[in-house]
Amino acid sequence: MESGREVSDFSSGDGRLTVEDFSVAARGFSDNWKTHNQSFPPWSWVPLISRTPLVSKKQEEGYLSLEKIIILSSLEEKNPEEDSLNVETDCSEKEESIDDTILVQPLDNEAHYYDFHIVYSASYRVPVLYFRGYCSGGKPLSLDVIKKDLPSCSVSLLMESKWTFITQEEHPYLNRPWFKLHPCGTEEWIKLLSQSSSSAGCQMPVELYLVSWFSVVGQVVGLRIPLEMLN
Amino acid sequence: MAENETSPTILQFAPLNSSVDEGFWHSFSSLKLDKLGIDDSPLSITGFCAPCSHPQVSNHLTLLSESLPSDEQSLIANTSHGNRNKCPVPGILYNTNTVESFNKLDKQSLLKAEAKKIWEDIQSGKALEDCALLSRFLVISFADLKKWSFRYWFAFPALVLDPPASLVELKPASEYFSSEEAESVSAACNDWRESNSTTDVPFFLVSVSSDSKASIKHLKDYEACQGDYQKLFFGFYDPCHLPSNPGWPLRNYLALIRSRWNLETVLFFCYRESRGFADLNLSLVGQASVTLSSGESAETVPNSVGWELNKGKRVPRSISLANSMDPTRLAVSAVDLNLKLMRWRALPSLNLNVLSSVKCLLLGAGTLGCQVARTLMGWGIRNITFVDYGKVAMSNPVRQSLYTFEDCVGRGEFKAVAAVKSLKQIFPAMESSGVVMAIPMPGHPISSQEEDSVLGDCKRLSDLIESHDAVFLLTDTRESRWLPSLLCANANKIAINAALGFDSYMVMRHGAGPTSLSDDMNKTHRQRLGCYFCNDVVAPQDSMTDRTLDQQCTVTRPGLAPIAGALAVELLVGVLQHPLGIYAKGDNSSSSNGGNIDDSPLGILPHQIRGSISQFSQITLLGQASNSCTACSETVISEYRKRGNSFILEAINHPTYLEDLTGLTELKKAANSFNLDWEDDDIDDDDDDVAVDL
Ligand SMILES: [Zn+2]
Repeated sequence: MESGREVSDFSSGDGRLTVEDFSVAARGFSDNWKTHNQSFPPWSWVPLISRTPLVSKKQEEGYLSLEKIIILSSLEEKNPEEDSLNVETDCSEKEESIDDTILVQPLDNEAHYYDFHIVYSASYRVPVLYFRGYCSGGKPLSLDVIKKDLPSCSVSLLMESKWTFITQEEHPYLNRPWFKLHPCGTEEWIKLLSQSSSSAGCQMPVELYLVSWFSVVGQVVGLRIPLEMLN
Repeated sequence: MAENETSPTILQFAPLNSSVDEGFWHSFSSLKLDKLGIDDSPLSITGFCAPCSHPQVSNHLTLLSESLPSDEQSLIANTSHGNRNKCPVPGILYNTNTVESFNKLDKQSLLKAEAKKIWEDIQSGKALEDCALLSRFLVISFADLKKWSFRYWFAFPALVLDPPASLVELKPASEYFSSEEAESVSAACNDWRESNSTTDVPFFLVSVSSDSKASIKHLKDYEACQGDYQKLFFGFYDPCHLPSNPGWPLRNYLALIRSRWNLETVLFFCYRESRGFADLNLSLVGQASVTLSSGESAETVPNSVGWELNKGKRVPRSISLANSMDPTRLAVSAVDLNLKLMRWRALPSLNLNVLSSVKCLLLGAGTLGCQVARTLMGWGIRNITFVDYGKVAMSNPVRQSLYTFEDCVGRGEFKAVAAVKSLKQIFPAMESSGVVMAIPMPGHPISSQEEDSVLGDCKRLSDLIESHDAVFLLTDTRESRWLPSLLCANANKIAINAALGFDSYMVMRHGAGPTSLSDDMNKTHRQRLGCYFCNDVVAPQDSMTDRTLDQQCTVTRPGLAPIAGALAVELLVGVLQHPLGIYAKGDNSSSSNGGNIDDSPLGILPHQIRGSISQFSQITLLGQASNSCTACSETVISEYRKRGNSFILEAINHPTYLEDLTGLTELKKAANSFNLDWEDDDIDDDDDDVAVDL
């Protein structure tokens, strides 16, 4: 199986990827994204420091990253906990003389920031989408708040689909909890996708693996990809 | 100063805001715990900034985990140098060890001290070489690592010009420049941002020659830009998005320009971008007029401002990261996740809430008790109470999976106590308690002095059973299971019974209590399943009775308890998931294709399971409740309800009483065969490797 693997015209018949294929697919995906999806910033490849320096790999290990996608929400619900923590300290009196060179800004729309990482799961041998949201000050958003930011079709997809199961787990490289779309169904629906495309007479090349994968996964988190990306 | 009739517009700057990535606090907590301890000397840190890249949102000065001085073995290659979106800015962090010292910090002098550094860097020319020094910042913080909460306050020190600069003109760069100039400025900016050596240099000079050609130079090359045909703009990465105001970095920039080059009129260029390219619609060009100082000396540091406001107020910010840092919460969500995955992948109709809320009472914390508790935890059950009167003996830890050698040194810890401690160590979210208590047994006469304490134990046991949802009978004698069987039948609680022989085991669930059916409208045709003691009269339908078991045997093969303990828990889970619960009828494995599977997502729900490890075999059995059972029959239960304590005392003191009551002789025979005296049991007798009549 391993020896018979072809990188270039790989048909993901079993719905899975090797780690080398993943980095090929990642490049294909980010190039494709850059060309067809210019309203978004590009995905960047974050290389990892190899843990096994003796093994010289052709493809470096890493993950794809798309960060600081901004979603503006008009009203930010007040966090009561935060208010109670912010006890006014009396030491702030008379600290700064009134300075009329400082612009007094009205309270802005609250921006929510989203980071997305596409990480290879060695145990499932499929890509996994990790994501998180946070406020402009850096405070993480809970899943409930995140769901409010998602378009309604994503929310219903989350409720109904058997494939889209959000969990909070440790990010494999950052070692902090991030949300992720659990990969255990991935292999199966990728298989379905590639069967439908191969029945149409074409095989799914490895460069397109992440594109078709993301066409499903991205919808769950409100990131649609343009149809042209799928050719 | 306002001598003119029309007072000039004061140039106002949009304050910079901070953003602290969760990762910063994670790394800072490790640094504090592993290295700094209570050392609260200031730390040099690196903030990151970038030009504004969104028409409605300003950029922040950001702290990331790599903002801290690090020698850690991060897996991710350090990409922050030469990263266009992470221009480094030097900062200093004053972390205090208490909230009081945080509040007491002299913020004014801290700000002054940083402003002084900026001023000195301007005077010495260092700021020309490394212009990020102009944007120095400072943070004070108090990290409450026990609660994973952080209180902090940023300051972006800005030197105050006195008198303030006034604004002559400010407009989008696309309007200010001719289209040729704009094109050339864009191209030059894009080159500057593309090059690794300049992309993170946030202050620069833009010169536009008379033939509309723009070029960008470092601040230190100011003199070289002094041509006759050139317009010179002081460019900087502007974090601010507003079309009406420049951002904060311009303040110290103007201080530098005034102090170094003595310019009265300053053309500034607020560089902003979108999608990684210069955006001259967002970018601004402005003209400021600055009053040159007369008697100002390099030694006198100007006044400074810059403490960040929190939603318009002068208060610190705070953040709680318990959700991502509290290890107990992380363990809970990981355990929940595991169960959710099981439901998601294999058992869509599994009701996890029923499991996490069920309260289990384990009578006996020996080999079986330990095993049952472990498997219960695996199913996400959080609430476990142990009842046991023994202590952990030296022989126990190898077989009793909740104990270690430490529990038996000295006089030995009570099992009920050690087991609770162990559960908490395994999973801190367990709600567990232990009761050191012996279970009163029938046919073991007691003196009148002992009566009160024995009746007290009965009352405690009864209360315990009432306050739990499911009871596991895992004690080491047959007799000690009698009272709990009776109390469970009386209270109609789920009872699961597991017993071991030398190489065989029996696991069963008791049926509902007799009175529970009288309430039921159609009790006709509904038979109760038997209890442990019903087996005395009603033989199981399928017989394994040709086996003989040595009743005195006190050893079992070590593999039995894990098997039987696990089966006992799976049986409970089956009952809890079954729509009829305790009333569910008993399935046989042979009846598995009888269509009963739909009732429970887990498959069939047998009444009894017997297995032999010598044969590596296991069968399911069904036995109905007996009318003459000494523990669960209507006669016994109603007598108990009528006479209460005196019934119990009679059962305890008169070996023939129960038999008289139900017409049974079996129990007496069995009771006579035990020669243990539970009152005087010492540790050596407390061998939980059960040998009971199967
Ligand atoms: Zn019975």
